[in-house]
Amino acid sequence: MSAAFHQVEIELLRSLVGQLLELVRDEESTRDPRQANDPLAEAFGLGDDPSRPSDPVVLRLFPDAYRDDDEAADEFRRFTERGLREAKAGAAATVLASLTAAGPVEPDEPSDPGREKVRLTLDPDEAQAWLRTLTDLRLALGTRLGVEEGDEERWEELPDDDPRRQVHDVYDWLGWVQETLVRALAPGL
Amino acid sequence: MGAVTTAPAEVEQAEADEVVVPDTPWTTVVWNDPVNLMSYVTYVFQSYFGYARKKAEKLMLDVHEKGKAIVSSGTREAMERDVEAMHGYGLWATMQKAGDRG
Repeated sequence: MSAAFHQVEIELLRSLVGQLLELVRDEESTRDPRQANDPLAEAFGLGDDPSRPSDPVVLRLFPDAYRDDDEAADEFRRFTERGLREAKAGAAATVLASLTAAGPVEPDEPSDPGREKVRLTLDPDEAQAWLRTLTDLRLALGTRLGVEEGDEERWEELPDDDPRRQVHDVYDWLGWVQETLVRALAPGL
Repeated sequence: MGAVTTAPAEVEQAEADEVVVPDTPWTTVVWNDPVNLMSYVTYVFQSYFGYARKKAEKLMLDVHEKGKAIVSSGTREAMERDVEAMHGYGLWATMQKAGDRG
């Protein structure tokens, strides 16, 4: 499948996906530093959940698998988080590569800088990587913003120059891209 | 009190320790979140679990309207795989023993 983007959109995606890649690769900095740096607490098992991420975004990307059993949740995390991080990083890297491979739509036609359109072609594996990466990006932005069910008005009421509104616009746009992609992959949904 | 009637000589006792453990004692639960798109959640249920469109949509609507849905059941190991896969897709999933109210 293929899709056309403006060059500015490609740059925006490249920047966001690059940040996501750093986030999922950087395992250590997302732990609670008090727990990570307190070997005494760790030795005595005082850090009740030493591997649990402290960053709400990371916690949303890698949620607890058990609600009422911290020990089991911790063990699940030990066995799965590294693999999940690698998979998410791999998908993000695939998206970055496909963004780099994007070619101009109308190479002969002059247009305003940044408004040039580029065409991106995705094979099935790349489309899956896009689905997952768009999801992870929206989870990250949505969690940072504090998005809630049915809160659209809250964002529309913010002034245009409020940075939260701008981030929310990006969040919405990513949702639109993903919706388009899902419908292309599964017609009728 | 009238005439004393004879109690049955033996009362059958329920043997609590003989309750048969079902083959599928664990479940995967997907919880509602404000971020994931309804179409995407349906797509994940179809493509990962292989559910028909109708079943996938029903489960998605349960997640959306009731806050959660049991999307699969099986052994603890199988549910760990399902939960891990759901986290890979970015869905908020947990596992619990069948019958537990989350």
